[in-house]
Amino acid sequence: MSERTLRAAIAVLALAGAAVAAYLVYARYTGTRLACTTGGCKTVQHSKYAKAAGIPIAVLGLSAYLAVFTTALSARLEAAALGAAIVLGGLAFGIYLIVIQVAVIDAICQWCLASDGILAVLAVVSAQRLRRAAGIPQDTSARPLMAEKG
Amino acid sequence: MRSVRGLLGSRAALFAAVGIAAVGIAVGLIVASVVGSGGKKVAPTPETSISSPTSPAPGDTVNGAAATKALFRGIPQRLNVLGNPKAPVTMIEFADLQCPFCRDFALDALPAIVRDYVRPGKIKLVFAGIAFIGPDSETALRATYAAGLQDSLWNFLDLLYRNQGAENSGWVTEGLLRAVGNSIAGLDVDPLLAARQTAEVDNALLATNRQATSAHVNATPTFFAGRTGATLQRISVSDLRPQAFRPTLDALLQ
Repeated sequence: MSERTLRAAIAVLALAGAAVAAYLVYARYTGTRLACTTGGCKTVQHSKYAKAAGIPIAVLGLSAYLAVFTTALSARLEAAALGAAIVLGGLAFGIYLIVIQVAVIDAICQWCLASDGILAVLAVVSAQRLRRAAGIPQDTSARPLMAEKG
Repeated sequence: MRSVRGLLGSRAALFAAVGIAAVGIAVGLIVASVVGSGGKKVAPTPETSISSPTSPAPGDTVNGAAATKALFRGIPQRLNVLGNPKAPVTMIEFADLQCPFCRDFALDALPAIVRDYVRPGKIKLVFAGIAFIGPDSETALRATYAAGLQDSLWNFLDLLYRNQGAENSGWVTEGLLRAVGNSIAGLDVDPLLAARQTAEVDNALLATNRQATSAHVNATPTFFAGRTGATLQRISVSDLRPQAFRPTLDALLQ
């Protein structure tokens, strides 16, 4: 997959994640009832675990997805590294929140799971992008020659 | 300005830096989440275990939180309904949160009913709160229905019973309600307190009052049960132990 395709995939996934987060932010601040087939969305969204440092996690998620989208607009290695760090950190936090939903709150929010699924795919694509961004210059430099020598 | 690759030297160092940054982001978020959700436990001293109108401080919790959590753990709740919405039998309890007999039912009979009938999906329980004993009844009831908007009504109700004070002594303080809310995992206390005077809670109170009037409920607790969807019949119980309810519930489940 080309670097450009990887960036396009990251941009699309980040926008999908941003849409999920935006819906949760909208519901939170307007009091709209969440569409929910798992039955626990409201419980989770109104739980005390739905905030970090007083900021709703949906707001943090929306910001993070938009930041990741922005990193996909640039071909620079710095952008790939920053995007991967945000996505991997977000995924780890998402896994922690799944544990909280199952073990503490006793309720599952389908929108959180959707976001976690998007993050998991984003993590794979971002890692691939980072690997490619970091690897291409080395592949064309001394390393293959040294390998041939051995 | 040197590039990231220049600063880090190698691909391995770059990946390590990204990994460290990711761990830092995750740990920071988890710490912020844990710190933000924390609350301290009221020491179970004799002073706090006596039901008095002393106000717990913000962040405090109340006695009985672990027992309540264990009782309802994993059972679906929706507004004022506890249990599988498709359960074949429905039982409604009309109760006043200041009523000592309602408390007796909650503590003596409810755990066995939940264990044997609600948890297996055989019956669903519906709470119908009425406030006729005095001002503390309505204060407690409004907060309880507001907890229902977060699908935590039964936990809130159970904890209020466990910390019930003398009738109309002013025991239902803001501090108590906040502490009860803090004791329930997953409950956001500020929205609960804000929801007490909303149209949703007003309507729930009015609807229950109408139901109680039409069903001639003039004492609490009063129970009705029947096949779900059919007309419910008043249950006459000799006492408030679980065995007093079993014959009726078992017959309805036949």
